[in-house]
Amino acid sequence: MADTIQVAREMVVGAAMTSGTFFMVVTAIGLLRFPDVYCRMHAAGKAGTIGIALLILAPTVHFAAAEPFVAVRGILAIVFQCLTTPGATYLLAHACYVRAYPTHRRTEIDELEYWMPVYRDDEFGHE
Amino acid sequence: MSAGLQAVTQSCLAGLFVAATLCLYRIIVGPRAADRAVAFDTFSAVVVGMICLLCILWDSTLYFDAVWILTLVGFLGTAAIAKYLARGRVF
Repeated sequence: MADTIQVAREMVVGAAMTSGTFFMVVTAIGLLRFPDVYCRMHAAGKAGTIGIALLILAPTVHFAAAEPFVAVRGILAIVFQCLTTPGATYLLAHACYVRAYPTHRRTEIDELEYWMPVYRDDEFGHE
Repeated sequence: MSAGLQAVTQSCLAGLFVAATLCLYRIIVGPRAADRAVAFDTFSAVVVGMICLLCILWDSTLYFDAVWILTLVGFLGTAAIAKYLARGRVF
């Protein structure tokens, strides 16, 4: 019985870390190959969040039986990460739009054009 | 820990090293500041994942606190960079 639980736990841990690593590698490839900063944020904001959540889930399950407080900290870390990674990506995208970062040349529509003020470089004195 | 789980952990660590290398490339060549900030956010997430996998590999929970501390510090850094880019100052 104990052996069965051990094997099941190791299978869950292995599956979690494998899929998490897959999502992180996909995120890094997206960062490398997407053409402009908004596309790169699309890769980092979605696949990065699920990847790091799965990677933190692996030690949480692995140590859950032996040390319960580690499991509590792991779940807290997952919640923190799922809250802060999309928030940071949103803040950066807002900053990029307000500062009129260039989009890829094949971008066709800009739905925020009439709703959000854009400061060109000569209005603020940096970059 | 069985030998199979150890092999899986080591190969996942190798994959995370590849991801970290790609993020470092984007940090170095990224054309403007926001590209570097996004890449650094992902790089800190990859480092957090490496710490998690090393906890399993070494069978120790000593460094597990670093996971959520790095999470919060990475968020604060990215938020400060975003505020600086948007307004020209942080506070």
